[in-house]
Amino acid sequence: MDVVDARGVACPIPVTMTRNALEKSQSAVVVLVDNNTACENVSRFANSQGCEVEISQREGGFELKLTPGEKPVEKKADEKPTADVAFLVTSDELGQGERELGLRLMRMFLYTAAESGGKGTAVFMNTGVRLAAEDEEAAASISRLAGQGWKVLVCGTCLDYYGLKDSLKAGTVSNMYEIQSALVGAGSVVSL
Amino acid sequence: MSGEDAGVYLLSDDLALVQTVDFFPPIVDDPKAFGRIAAANALSDIYAMGARPLTAMNIVAFPKKLCGEVLEAVLLGGYDKVHEAGAVVIGGHTIEDDEPKYGLAVTGIVDPARMMTVSAASKGDALVITKALGTGVIATALKAGMAAREVVQAATDSMMLLNRSASEAFLARGVRACTDVTGFGLMGHLSEILNASEVSATLWEGSIPLLPGAVELAAQGMLPEGAYANREGVEVEAPGVTREVLDCMYDPQTSGGLLACVKGDRVDELLAELRKSCPRAAVIGEVTGGDTGSIKVLPGKE
Repeated sequence: MDVVDARGVACPIPVTMTRNALEKSQSAVVVLVDNNTACENVSRFANSQGCEVEISQREGGFELKLTPGEKPVEKKADEKPTADVAFLVTSDELGQGERELGLRLMRMFLYTAAESGGKGTAVFMNTGVRLAAEDEEAAASISRLAGQGWKVLVCGTCLDYYGLKDSLKAGTVSNMYEIQSALVGAGSVVSL
Repeated sequence: MSGEDAGVYLLSDDLALVQTVDFFPPIVDDPKAFGRIAAANALSDIYAMGARPLTAMNIVAFPKKLCGEVLEAVLLGGYDKVHEAGAVVIGGHTIEDDEPKYGLAVTGIVDPARMMTVSAASKGDALVITKALGTGVIATALKAGMAAREVVQAATDSMMLLNRSASEAFLARGVRACTDVTGFGLMGHLSEILNASEVSATLWEGSIPLLPGAVELAAQGMLPEGAYANREGVEVEAPGVTREVLDCMYDPQTSGGLLACVKGDRVDELLAELRKSCPRAAVIGEVTGGDTGSIKVLPGKE
């Protein structure tokens, strides 16, 4: 059984440690905390994730045994992507080769995706964010996807890094937590 | 006077000096927004007393490596709000520190006859709050990487809002009992008014304005330490009230709204005016004549 020792750290760190452990583990997780605040916050978080929580007092704190319920542990139902497929776009080029070809292929891929309808999640990271910010043609296709109800998540850290935060043309600025949940919750992930 | 939001020094029969100071570590990632929030928060004590701010002094503790652009952005944010308040920054002091901190000492003036205090509430007054609750929960979630961007933005906008127009609207209608909702949460600050005025209160759960995302994040264990401490400090009677709404009522606020006790016949007109500058302003309950300091929360107005 995984043991998370969250003694000696202040909230919200015990909750983030618990979240990470629950996401990795298939079975029960034990969390050790040394104050009431952490005990109640961790217990609330575990409940919100569908876990059963058993609390026992220990010397200098509490031991919480978190047992995941039937459903896989992840975010609340209304935050789950509704769609089955997720495109993970981590570069502005499709494949490795001549840059010009890679970029053209990526634009074509997005155009075709926008033409084919359906619903899903598209995640843009690293140089992939340029497609949603700088590249007019790709951004137009991404806009169309969003218009059709696709969830389009653009990595905020990446936009910041490349200085593109103010030039985002399509999609929503997102964080690692949301991106990770979207990918984990998707039926299939297509990496590009 | 004790338990007031700022120190008051009588200069003459119709003029008193009002002084306050507040500073804290960054609560949001954007340095300019942090500067604006810190200044709006420091000015808030002046507004809670119905005073007019005149001068402000910066208080800065910053690590050397951030002393360039980042500090400049924080200070510019602070100037923005002090300027909007009609006051001026006339100086300040900086020391080196590993964890950045920023705030201001603010001096204002007030006519003691019109000053708003925590001891002037009377039975039958409507309780009016001018901002939504939940900044502590959302700041905690931001640290944990669990707050969506829109949620953080709404909280930031609320924290940057000056309590100036709210204070002026209250003064214009002769309101005498007011405080600002900060570290002790709605319950803690309400409790101060009730104890100082020797009255009690009833609140309506359904009328409490909450920042978007606050209830959901409270359910996920994003409560700051202070919320638990505030809950220990003030006992309330709240049967059947949603746990997370109650949490938000105990949640420590940064640059929270004003909480005022308003004579019943002036409430509708006042609320209409308040909402022009404070869109989430609401009547959340009433002052009652029960045991001093007791607070009851009902699902809604009966």
